Amino acid sequence: MSVLEVDRLTVSLPMVGGAARAVRGISFRLERGESLGIVGESGCGKSMTALALMGLLPDGGTLDGSIALNGRNLRTLDEAAMCHVRGNAIAMVFQEPMTSLNPVHTIGKQLVEPLMLHLGLDRDEAKVEAFSLLERVGLVDPQRYYSAFPHQLSGGQRQRAMIAMALSCHPEVLIADEPTTALDVTVQGQILDLIYDVVSERQMSLIMISHDLGVIAQTVDRVAVMYGGSIVEQGPTAEVFAQLAHPYTQGLFAAVPQVGDGRRRLRTIPGTVPELADLPQGCTFAGRCSLSRESCHHQVPDMRSVGPNHMAACLRLDAAMATSTFGLRR
Amino acid sequence: MTSRTPSDLFLLALRHRNLLLGGALSTLIILLAVISLLWTPHSAYELDVANKLKPPSSTHWLGTDHFGRDVASLIMVGAQNSLVVGFVAVGIGMAAGVLLGLWASAQRGWIEELIMRLSDFTFAFPAILSAIMITAILGPGAVNSILAIGIFNIPVFARVTRGSANAIWAREFVLAARAAGKGRIRITFEHVLPNILSVIIVQATIFFAIAILAEAALSYLGLGTQPPQPSWGRMLNEAQTFLYLSPHLALFPGLVIVVSVLGFNMLGDGLRDWLDPRLSRARLSGYAQ
Repeated sequence: MSVLEVDRLTVSLPMVGGAARAVRGISFRLERGESLGIVGESGCGKSMTALALMGLLPDGGTLDGSIALNGRNLRTLDEAAMCHVRGNAIAMVFQEPMTSLNPVHTIGKQLVEPLMLHLGLDRDEAKVEAFSLLERVGLVDPQRYYSAFPHQLSGGQRQRAMIAMALSCHPEVLIADEPTTALDVTVQGQILDLIYDVVSERQMSLIMISHDLGVIAQTVDRVAVMYGGSIVEQGPTAEVFAQLAHPYTQGLFAAVPQVGDGRRRLRTIPGTVPELADLPQGCTFAGRCSLSRESCHHQVPDMRSVGPNHMAACLRLDAAMATSTFGLRR
Repeated sequence: MTSRTPSDLFLLALRHRNLLLGGALSTLIILLAVISLLWTPHSAYELDVANKLKPPSSTHWLGTDHFGRDVASLIMVGAQNSLVVGFVAVGIGMAAGVLLGLWASAQRGWIEELIMRLSDFTFAFPAILSAIMITAILGPGAVNSILAIGIFNIPVFARVTRGSANAIWAREFVLAARAAGKGRIRITFEHVLPNILSVIIVQATIFFAIAILAEAALSYLGLGTQPPQPSWGRMLNEAQTFLYLSPHLALFPGLVIVVSVLGFNMLGDGLRDWLDPRLSRARLSGYAQ
């Protein structure tokens, strides 16, 4: 049985121009010990997917479809039961380590609280556990970090502390929402390695959300590309990176600057991400796609198989794959 | 800590002059009240009609009133009264208002609307008018005037708390706390309240001054503290009749009201500057008031 099974998940948010469907019927499974990467531009619904999995939608947001954790539908749980799932079964690491720690409490206090809340440890046991967690995430000299306030730590140290907090109650699923975006490039690699190590060491499942293809390529087994609230391509990382099927994925790859490209203009995908409140009827990418035909604007494409476990949602898949000039081996 | 030279200390004091001066004046009033519990120059309740309406002298430092009571002693004992009113009224307003504000902020939706519209409703009446109204219904007296002032403080604290709490609820660390499985009540007391405490403390100090002033006004109107318990407001009222004959009777209680209100106000301003340095810098450059 999959640890996490998401079926036709849809999220609607109230907006000035009417309800915006931030996530439009996405489905995926996550096995024990497996890692899934979700890539996409800002506003494609990837963070909203993460919040929906945690049951933490913004006020007025509504959910449709099902989210099953070990076969149990999370949508039927009440708030108290959901509080037990959060932190305990699914934990999350956020994008901004600068703002996701409470500035008025020490790292130790914030680390000990969930241990006492979820695992029922007393204060001394929790402190011992907190020390070993701090050491595990690479904050050696735990005594110092235990009594430090967030503003006394660097960005990388804070993100390490956040990871320690997320790990504290042995969750089965870790959701990392752009965990390295706010960090220095030199620190990014260390944090990714840390996440990768702790996840594989504890046999946890990982959902890594990022807009950075490099981050995804390094850390995950399987990748899902999101655009306009839908998953447009999904498959094993090596498979997807070897054979980019969807025109959007191809464009995304082409836009990655390469060292040694010289002083060329950076490649971009023409146009902008469509407004979520006003998404086109057919394929959401049709307006920006060079291969789009009349039918693309009316018909929503279904997921089609393009390789072993590799699927893409495009009406012009054959044309797209024929013209595919991008990829890691270009 | 690095050691500071005297000139550094002077600069530091200059920067926090509101805090220091306000703190000193407030401490002075509190000292008056505390000393009066143990010792007053004369009894504040003993009448000595033979020595009535005497100007300040070495035996009666601030003179005597129309019953021959020692004005200095009356002011000292009156300070107790003002401080008790301030503490209890602000305490009532703060306890109820902060809880309501936190509740509104944690629940959102119709509960928040209801609490805030009720606050607006209470706010629509001038504070002193509603206090007069409440004492008119409940009857005059120290306890009722404290209640009245306390009740009109509730919406003030509810609004400030709800506004600052809403800002904290939108912060990412609250989302992170929710993601760690904490419920709304835990988050309210572990994450929201500690982060807005400074705002509440500043508000409490400023409304302490306003409460003292309101009590003086109510007592002046005869709705507050009743005789023989000395009160600054009633001293002003009684002095009115002898304003030409013995102006010192109005001067000293008036002065001590001014000093205490000024002191607590400056203390509040100073605390705000100290606890929220960004705001004071913005004020200096004229962006906010």
